[in-house]
Amino acid sequence: MNKRRQVVTLVLLVFVVGASLVANLAAGNTPALGLDLQGGASVTLQPAGEFDATGLDVAVEIIRARVDSIGVAEPEIILQGDTVVVNLPGVNDQQEALNIIGRTGELLLRPVLQSGIYNPDATTTTLPGTTTSSSPSTSLPATGDSVEDGAGIISGGPGASRVVSTATTITATTVPETTVPETTVPETSSTEPVVVTTENPLADLGLGDDPNDPTQTVLLFDKSGIAYVVGPAGASGKVFKNDAQPDVQTGQWAVVVGLRSGVDGDQLWNRLAAACFNKTPQCPTGQLAMVLDGTVISAPTVNEPEFTGGTVQISGSFTADEARELAKILEFGAVPVRFEVSQAQTVSATLGSDSLRAAIISGVIGILLVVLLLLAYYRTMALFVIAGMTVSIGFLWSVISLLSRTNGLALSLSGIAGIIVSIGIAVDSYIVFFERIKDEIRSGKTLKNSALRSFESAWRTIVAADTVSFLAAITLWYLTVGSVRGFAFFLGISALTDILITYFFTRNAVLLFARSKRAQGRKVLGIQTVKPEVM
Amino acid sequence: MAGPFDGFGRLYRGQTTINFIGKRVVGFTVSLVIVLSGAISLLVQGLELGIDFRGGVAWEVPAGSLTDADARGVLQKNGVESANAKIQFLTGAGTQVMRVQVGDQPEDVRLAVQKSFAELAKTELQEVSVASVSSSWGRSITEKAIRALLVFFVIVSIYISWRLEWKMAITAIVAMFHDVLLSVGIYSIFGFEVTPATVVAFLTILGYSLYDTVVVFDRVQENAEKFSTSRQSFANVANVSTNEVLARSLNTTLSSALPVVALLFVGSFALGAKNLEEFAVALLVGMLAGTYSSIFVAVPLLDLLKQNEPKYRPFKDQVATGPKMAALMGVDSPPKRPQDAVTSVVDSTEIADSAGDSLAKRATATLTHPPRPRKKRR
Repeated sequence: MNKRRQVVTLVLLVFVVGASLVANLAAGNTPALGLDLQGGASVTLQPAGEFDATGLDVAVEIIRARVDSIGVAEPEIILQGDTVVVNLPGVNDQQEALNIIGRTGELLLRPVLQSGIYNPDATTTTLPGTTTSSSPSTSLPATGDSVEDGAGIISGGPGASRVVSTATTITATTVPETTVPETTVPETSSTEPVVVTTENPLADLGLGDDPNDPTQTVLLFDKSGIAYVVGPAGASGKVFKNDAQPDVQTGQWAVVVGLRSGVDGDQLWNRLAAACFNKTPQCPTGQLAMVLDGTVISAPTVNEPEFTGGTVQISGSFTADEARELAKILEFGAVPVRFEVSQAQTVSATLGSDSLRAAIISGVIGILLVVLLLLAYYRTMALFVIAGMTVSIGFLWSVISLLSRTNGLALSLSGIAGIIVSIGIAVDSYIVFFERIKDEIRSGKTLKNSALRSFESAWRTIVAADTVSFLAAITLWYLTVGSVRGFAFFLGISALTDILITYFFTRNAVLLFARSKRAQGRKVLGIQTVKPEVM
Repeated sequence: MAGPFDGFGRLYRGQTTINFIGKRVVGFTVSLVIVLSGAISLLVQGLELGIDFRGGVAWEVPAGSLTDADARGVLQKNGVESANAKIQFLTGAGTQVMRVQVGDQPEDVRLAVQKSFAELAKTELQEVSVASVSSSWGRSITEKAIRALLVFFVIVSIYISWRLEWKMAITAIVAMFHDVLLSVGIYSIFGFEVTPATVVAFLTILGYSLYDTVVVFDRVQENAEKFSTSRQSFANVANVSTNEVLARSLNTTLSSALPVVALLFVGSFALGAKNLEEFAVALLVGMLAGTYSSIFVAVPLLDLLKQNEPKYRPFKDQVATGPKMAALMGVDSPPKRPQDAVTSVVDSTEIADSAGDSLAKRATATLTHPPRPRKKRR
């Protein structure tokens, strides 16, 4: 053991921990508080009936989007196994929380009646009809008839050609709105500029007020703000099989999805497709909007009256990610996840802050008592425990703050319990070590010799014991939900911290002290040490 | 240092010579009585499960001057069966909270009752906490927790078997069951409500119990290797190891229990956080049990398993006590300052008669060459 290396390690560790603490404080990262400590609403949802993993992911995304749209600060939406936990700090109205996340709609297929930029101030709705395209790969034909422009195609199946003449090919034309340079989903344009200038341009369409009501004609938007007036839903995503896959078709990303057979599957789809292909009054634009949770995901033009191949291909100027996203949404649409509320809880802010205060005060008092005990028992050596604990706490604080910021980790009451328990475990490492040193000194060794030998045997014990704690934490983390998980996380992180601090801090600090001239021949741990005479 | 605190002084210097193995009947009896009474209580009156396990709704209202009858009135007014309602008053520093629990209710009823309570207590709607849990949820988290535990037992058994030995793995898990049963028993006897926090507490106890046992067993194993050539009964190895780690066990228990005691007093008595109180009680009992069981259950049980191994069988009934055990441990008895050990003489006849020659040799060897390093392990 080289003395210089020990000093360097020690200084480096303290520096790194100090720096990360300062960095976190400077960045304003503080541990986020769980609901039970700051008040708010928590809802636990479990899928009911048939569902698949992809659908569940999409459902969580829908919930996340909804929560984001109402501007809840630091919401926590966690998927634990197949259970979704939604924590909404500061939302004290349980009803509101349930309304936000209670239902996760269906993917609806709704014929598009009009589309364009909606301007609520003026009583005009301007529908873009210019044939300009910002999509460089696209040469847009001047008409909206079934044309392939590469921007949005539905065709008859994987590997099927995009040639219009094949029986199962239909094409959607898509022109990204010129004011929106980057479109995320294929969009459509009609061929001619349409300016509706009636007093109330949309009134004659009998717009409904609930965008999620499948029986009404409603005004919807897509992610880039393009407005669509869509008719009553002709079908739902259930016409598709849950096998949607992104695929590369003639050099472009596309999504291929199978059709279920039967009355509710391809027959329903073909009826809808025929209506749009023929531009019947029911579907005058020829476009079929895929609507999820009141948002138009994609509105391709249908280019075939009938799909006999059993599969549908949607293509456009997708990136790989967009194609994957669309495939996921289609898969969700095929097997929509229906949630049951298994747990709903509101914690009042007062109750939360009371608990927090109790936990903090008792934590501080607990640590003080432990420090007093150790000072009384181990005298000078207790200073190492105090220093080590300070470094541990600094380290834990940094890690928790960082994870709060990046992973939405929240410190809950059970997490605090995990930390309080880990105080005992951390202190135990010192106790095991010091008792070993006492054994060795008692048998007549110098402090210098005892320290190194004691560390080796204490280290074995500490690693074994911490491993058991860590195994417990890992098992609980993976196999349970809710508060037990929070506990497991903090227990695990504390066990790891203990290992780190014991090896890099305690070991080096105590060994350096044991070697120093001042320590020789003094009373250490309440026992007179032997002065090294002849070595 | 010595004097009135002689016992403490010996403990402080690691010179206790308590025959733990010899007293195993006492330990086993005490444990059996406590665990059995807990088990009987569990069978007879079961556990008071919170709504998280049964399903149901709970409201927490700032109580003010509200009474039990007020709460029942509110329930009845909203068409909720109030006969089975559980109404508790939780008192803390300056605030009193009334907690009302009933079976599962539809969403609109929950909201209506919450509104009525807010009116009654003249507070804002948001100050009334509501928690509702479906009964299937409780079942599913319980199942998940049990599955997690089973997996954990397997993993930990494998780890301890690999790191120490399989007999220790079995014993450690028995001791752990002992501790958890004991705390669960207390919950049953006193009718404390089992909440998810309680489950966390039980898991903590479980982890802590294993942790503590591993520390003790680690020393047992180390000593078993150290004494492997000196022909000892396992009881001697176990006794020496237990006495050696006694100071550590007590210190660790104290320093682990102090924060919990603080949580208990500050959290519950000063600030009235009822959930913290029960949590802390479970933890405290479990931690004390964890230390107790490592010493009085796990080690004696391990002795039962190991005393008939070929290596230890011939010396089965030889249990060194008092000064002889001290000699085994390589410490003086009565306590002396370490430097004096060089010159002190132990009456070697005392050791020789029961524990055999090797023991005497070992004892004198320790005494005549004080700074001799211990045998390197492994």
